[in-house]
Amino acid sequence: MPLSPSPTIRISLHPQPLLPGALLEAWQAQEAADPATAPAATSVFIGRVRRTTAAGLPLDGLELEHYPGMTEAELARLATDCGHRHQVRAVGVGHRVGMVAPGEAIVVVAVMADRRGPAQRCCQELLEALKHDAPFWKREWSAGAGAWVAGNTPLEEPLA
Amino acid sequence: MPPPDPAPATVCVRLFASLREAAGWSERLVPLPASADQIPCTPLLLWRTLEIAFPPSSPAAPGALSASSAPSLPAGLRVAINQRFAAPDTPLKPGDELAFLPPITGG
Repeated sequence: MPLSPSPTIRISLHPQPLLPGALLEAWQAQEAADPATAPAATSVFIGRVRRTTAAGLPLDGLELEHYPGMTEAELARLATDCGHRHQVRAVGVGHRVGMVAPGEAIVVVAVMADRRGPAQRCCQELLEALKHDAPFWKREWSAGAGAWVAGNTPLEEPLA
Repeated sequence: MPPPDPAPATVCVRLFASLREAAGWSERLVPLPASADQIPCTPLLLWRTLEIAFPPSSPAAPGALSASSAPSLPAGLRVAINQRFAAPDTPLKPGDELAFLPPITGG
């Protein structure tokens, strides 16, 4: 097996509504420009803002603060590390900043690889990494009041 | 012996999200304490001079730089130096950008 080259990394922060289809289309067009070398597997995650707060109240909007410069650099570092670990071809991360409405996309992660296993594993691992290590802070707005979110939502629904 | 650096030895301290609001400021030049004993200033030592209540319900950090109290940062608080995560005991250099980061909630 030839030595795997560095994965192509695409990072973007979006102060305006993030359109996952358009972003994925752009990444695909760049990565699969030559059908002969196009990656065979792409794994995608799209995260959208929930309609209720962590406390179960109706959510008016989710405000996302970031650390300009460091946030982009950390996203790139996490994507590069994860992409190398799983030997994938390309990693793309698009993330909203600013005020995001319920139902709007907040994050898009796409991983392209030669096999589905590495693509899916890298996609899941990177998503968990960026939730804990990319400098973003969420504030939930409900009934005119804002509250900073103290922790990440769990990976799965709790068992009943 | 080289002449002393005429520039004041400061670091740029930046705060984010709930921490910024608890402190009431987002960015400030903070002088590095004179290192008479050749003990370099660290984010942990500097944090204790800022006297910010974090989490907001807790009492403010003590201002005294006594070595015995408050041996660590408040739980969940992280440090970045020049926009890279760093340990709280990393020596600071004049001109560094030092950020205190409340718990991260991305994705």
